[in-house]
Amino acid sequence: MGSLVVLIIIVLACIAAPLYESSIAHTDAFTSNVAGTITINGQTVPVLEPSTEGLGLGVNPIAPTWTAQYFLGSDNQGRDVASRILYGGRNTLIIGFASAILCCVLAGIIGIVSGFFGRGVDAVLSRGLDVLWAFPVYLLAICLSVVLISSSLTIGPVTLSSASILLPIVIIGIVYVPYVARPIRGQVMSLREREFVQAAVGAGAPDMRLLRREILPNVLPTIIVFLPLMAAINMLTEAALSFLSIGVQPPDSSWGTIVNDGVGLLYTRPWVAIAPGILLAITAVTLNLLGDGVRDALDPKARLRGAA
Amino acid sequence: MRLHRIATVGVSLLAVGALAACSSGSSPSPSGSSGAAASSASAVPSGSASVGNDSDVRPYDPAHAGGTLTLLAKGAAGTLDPKVNYTLQFWQLYQGTYDGLTAFKHVDGEGSFTVVPDLAESIPDTTNGGKTYVFKLRQGIKFSDGADLTTDDVVSSFQRIFKVSSPTAGSFYNGIVGADACIKAPETCTLEGGVVGDKTAGTVTINLTAPDPEFLYKLSVPHAAINPKSAPTKDAGNTPIPTTGAYMFKSYDPNTALVMVRNPNFKEWSRAAQPAGYPDEIDYKFGLTVEAEVTAVENNQANWLYDPPPADRLAEIGSKYASQVHVNQLTAFWYLPLNVNLAPFDNLKARQAVNWAIDRNAIVKLYGGANLAQPVCTILPPGFPGYEANCQYTNPAGDTWQGADLEKAKQLVTESGTAGQEVTVIVADDEVNKAVGEYVQSVLNQIGYKAKVKAISGNIQFTYIQNSNNKVQISVTQWYQDYPAASDFLNVLLGCASFTPGSDSSINMSGFCDKKIQAQMDDALKTEQTSFDEANKKWAAVDKAMMEQSPMVPVMTPKLIDFISKDTGNYQFSKQFYMLVDQLWVK
Amino acid sequence: MWRFAGKRALAALLVLFAISVLVFLIFFATPGIDPAARIAGRNASQETLTQVRASFGFDRPIWVQYGLMMQHLFINRDLTSFVNRGSQVIPQVMQAIPVTLSLVFGAALIWVVLALIMGVAATAARGTVIDPLILVIGVIGVSLPVFWLGEVVNLVTQSRLHDTVFAWVPQLGYVPLTDGVGPWALHLLFPWLTLAVLYAGIYARVLRSEMVASMNEDYVRMARAKGIGETRVLIRHSLRTSMISIVSLFGLDFGALIGGAALLTEVVFGLQGVGKLTYDSLQNFDLPVILACVLYASFFVVLANFIVDLLYAWLDPRVRHV
Repeated sequence: MGSLVVLIIIVLACIAAPLYESSIAHTDAFTSNVAGTITINGQTVPVLEPSTEGLGLGVNPIAPTWTAQYFLGSDNQGRDVASRILYGGRNTLIIGFASAILCCVLAGIIGIVSGFFGRGVDAVLSRGLDVLWAFPVYLLAICLSVVLISSSLTIGPVTLSSASILLPIVIIGIVYVPYVARPIRGQVMSLREREFVQAAVGAGAPDMRLLRREILPNVLPTIIVFLPLMAAINMLTEAALSFLSIGVQPPDSSWGTIVNDGVGLLYTRPWVAIAPGILLAITAVTLNLLGDGVRDALDPKARLRGAA
Repeated sequence: MRLHRIATVGVSLLAVGALAACSSGSSPSPSGSSGAAASSASAVPSGSASVGNDSDVRPYDPAHAGGTLTLLAKGAAGTLDPKVNYTLQFWQLYQGTYDGLTAFKHVDGEGSFTVVPDLAESIPDTTNGGKTYVFKLRQGIKFSDGADLTTDDVVSSFQRIFKVSSPTAGSFYNGIVGADACIKAPETCTLEGGVVGDKTAGTVTINLTAPDPEFLYKLSVPHAAINPKSAPTKDAGNTPIPTTGAYMFKSYDPNTALVMVRNPNFKEWSRAAQPAGYPDEIDYKFGLTVEAEVTAVENNQANWLYDPPPADRLAEIGSKYASQVHVNQLTAFWYLPLNVNLAPFDNLKARQAVNWAIDRNAIVKLYGGANLAQPVCTILPPGFPGYEANCQYTNPAGDTWQGADLEKAKQLVTESGTAGQEVTVIVADDEVNKAVGEYVQSVLNQIGYKAKVKAISGNIQFTYIQNSNNKVQISVTQWYQDYPAASDFLNVLLGCASFTPGSDSSINMSGFCDKKIQAQMDDALKTEQTSFDEANKKWAAVDKAMMEQSPMVPVMTPKLIDFISKDTGNYQFSKQFYMLVDQLWVK
Repeated sequence: MWRFAGKRALAALLVLFAISVLVFLIFFATPGIDPAARIAGRNASQETLTQVRASFGFDRPIWVQYGLMMQHLFINRDLTSFVNRGSQVIPQVMQAIPVTLSLVFGAALIWVVLALIMGVAATAARGTVIDPLILVIGVIGVSLPVFWLGEVVNLVTQSRLHDTVFAWVPQLGYVPLTDGVGPWALHLLFPWLTLAVLYAGIYARVLRSEMVASMNEDYVRMARAKGIGETRVLIRHSLRTSMISIVSLFGLDFGALIGGAALLTEVVFGLQGVGKLTYDSLQNFDLPVILACVLYASFFVVLANFIVDLLYAWLDPRVRHV
């Protein structure tokens, strides 16, 4: 329960990002402020301050002020890190949840179809999952991001453009399908052999009704258990993809991109990387704990491979 | 130069053509760092051997000989074959290993742009109307494998340029008689009548199809180095080719290390062309992160790092380690090509608006501050031949860039009728380029566009933005050059011949081709044959005419940081090939 | 049994083939990564570009290029890189393998030992506050972004506290085992710990739930009834059977990690393993190396799946007919 409260607080804080930006931080989170200055203790200091010591090489962003403005300091563009973390949280949460939903829906369909119909259908789908399982996610993501710069990609009714966060959602959603689809397939297979399903088959029930009445209700809890776990894993994956400049595009932010920005400042301004990392970890913990109770009841072995 | 990049980027050396030599004798002094006096060492009038004075050549000090020099880089630079490799990272090492008939002088400062005889005894006068060179080889030089250097090696080396499809085969050496056939059919390349050796006289005759006052420069780069005739007729890859210089390559593994040791058969024949080095062994290690490299040099665990230090370490090394840092002005610039064939930048006012709007000082700040770069407003860098202070896009007005004018920019965008259009800025995904890209995007939004920024891997960004099929509107890129010729900037970057639609090798990213300006440039090129000074005036006019058309936004000219460990001495910086690695003292 | 194994092996080969084709197609469908211009060099003339394209075979039909690449990779075994021209791909991969093996073996040892301790402790402390506490610690481990954790570890050990507490930490990078066990282990210590944190928690909780379940099994009750001490029951009986469940999990993870799934850890700690090689080749768009790495990685992933499947089939004959 405690974890749910924490999660809600984080979500609310992220929703309130514009409020924080306009009435507390007083800086635009998305516009470079390279030449800007702020007033601290009555003194005017530049947000990006050129070094004056020795040879005077390098420019340092302002350190955390721990006051309303530039609470966590600025990034290398002179933007308020705290505001960007709140805005970034929105993207991270949206990507995490949306890709988790996409993943679970796709995995549910594939797992059920594969497990229910078996034979040829199963063979084809299972090999497809094998390919996806062993496929290099990063290659796919990098190539897609290059392809999408000049042209947008249309898959059925969905059109993806490079700046859209739909891109990371789709990439992350798809790559984890095998992890969810496999256990579901196994579950459906064993359900198929159970007495009550066999009885329905014997009674001449059509496939669709069998699926709707007997299989789906039994599989659905498993899928739901996977949701928060997937959301946690997907957020971490989003961060990993941002490490490679794929995913959320600047000037938009996500916790992943801010960690990435911060890695370049780690030596002098470690908070830029540490703060979003901690938030990411906290959110992932709450999601994992949330999924726990149900998961333990159903299948303690259900777990996913994270990006190592 | 940029990070560890291989092949295309990172090659900051000679690009096509135009190593305008000054036959008039006036020196095309490249911009000196902090206004260093332009030594008027002769920059190779074609034909006449002019070695200038060698007062800038430091005498050998045996007390410092010995020891192991350790260099660090994030990644290796690809093939070790001097005829194929086209990266600054390894060209720097070829200085002390391979020799051509001629060489750029191995000295600190301005003199390093001077060409001196190397394997040839002297620089010959041309005959046959400037089309024929007869080089006499020095006697008694041996390759590191013990074989004697003969004229056969020279002839086969020139054939080898074409047999291995050297990057510059079609641009530097296409003027040699017989080169056409070699480019078409490399396997059967003979250069018959083009490069002719006379073994008994010890001479090599090179015939050109037309006079080329820049030819001696082209002979001085590693692609024209003399390799043994036994060298493979394909890219030798990681297998070292025997050298003539002070050092030879002992082993090379691109994932771990490159090891150089003294060439046992080397005897110094010209200190200006190929000086004996100090360390007994040079270990170039690959694979650390740049942060770890900086730490290693700080802790005296390595002598030098190739990669530019990361932004968050600059302040530290500039203060705590100031005495170990060397900052040198490069003749290079950062710029934003504007695609003149695509909306909105097919509109002159829209292009001018961007030039008005970009705050050069902001970008200098993103690069590391005013001590690491200087704002520019012309295409030719300050102090460069052909450079005349002139700035059409500054507020307050002045000869050099003072400040941006956002209001004017907004007004121009409105007048152009392009307001509200979508613009995508394509940048390389390393930290500094990305930061510049985000800043540019932010400015474009402020002046009325709907801008996006897209960072892609630096390894493909450079070719990606060249291909007109990719429909790049605006990008962030750099042009490094190392020899003093205005045409290398103006004609190469914005000449009609440099624009090939649909090709990944089309360096004129703006797609700019103005018939009138092109005629002006052709005229200036022709003038160079008679008077360099006069030609430079014409180049200045070309620069001005181009900036009126605003096909690009020149942003800043960068400086290079060399950070060496506290026990490393005798630092010298060649403007041609950068730090003289083998002249460093570790003892 | 043999027929089943043969069928699975055939399917595995098919998967490897499909992956290689996919990688190849995606590569050539991406604009701007035509290697010819990058190989030819900055501002190369169009003739040189054509020449390079011809000599590398980029002007041939795509299936011919695919065939040639496979021939060089598997038959001649002399496939060379597009970026580091002349650099052979297979030796590069062979060189990277010991680094990855060192990283993964060490980390695996640590996380399995940690998981055992945590799992047993949590089981023994059921009903007290220690049990959930251990599990929460495990969850935190799983929830940390590994590259972030690595960077923070580096910040602390290489910079912030390098002059005091962590003065003994050597610079980043890998030292081969032949240079001595001590330096080898010291260089790998923090990468091991970072990677182990990611897995220890998960293994501990799987172990715990298995052990708790087994506590109600007949053989455990029997052991208790015989008057064997609780600790002994826990270790000798419950733990022993519960370990089986970890083995299959371990097989899959280990296969993936050996195949290069430790990419981010290797990148952050500057270890030249298979993951780093894959990462670098992706950054360079060096297709031959990408292909070799991807096939190598998929081989281990597929192999691990294959072995786990076979184990199950051996344990549970019904699976063979599905």
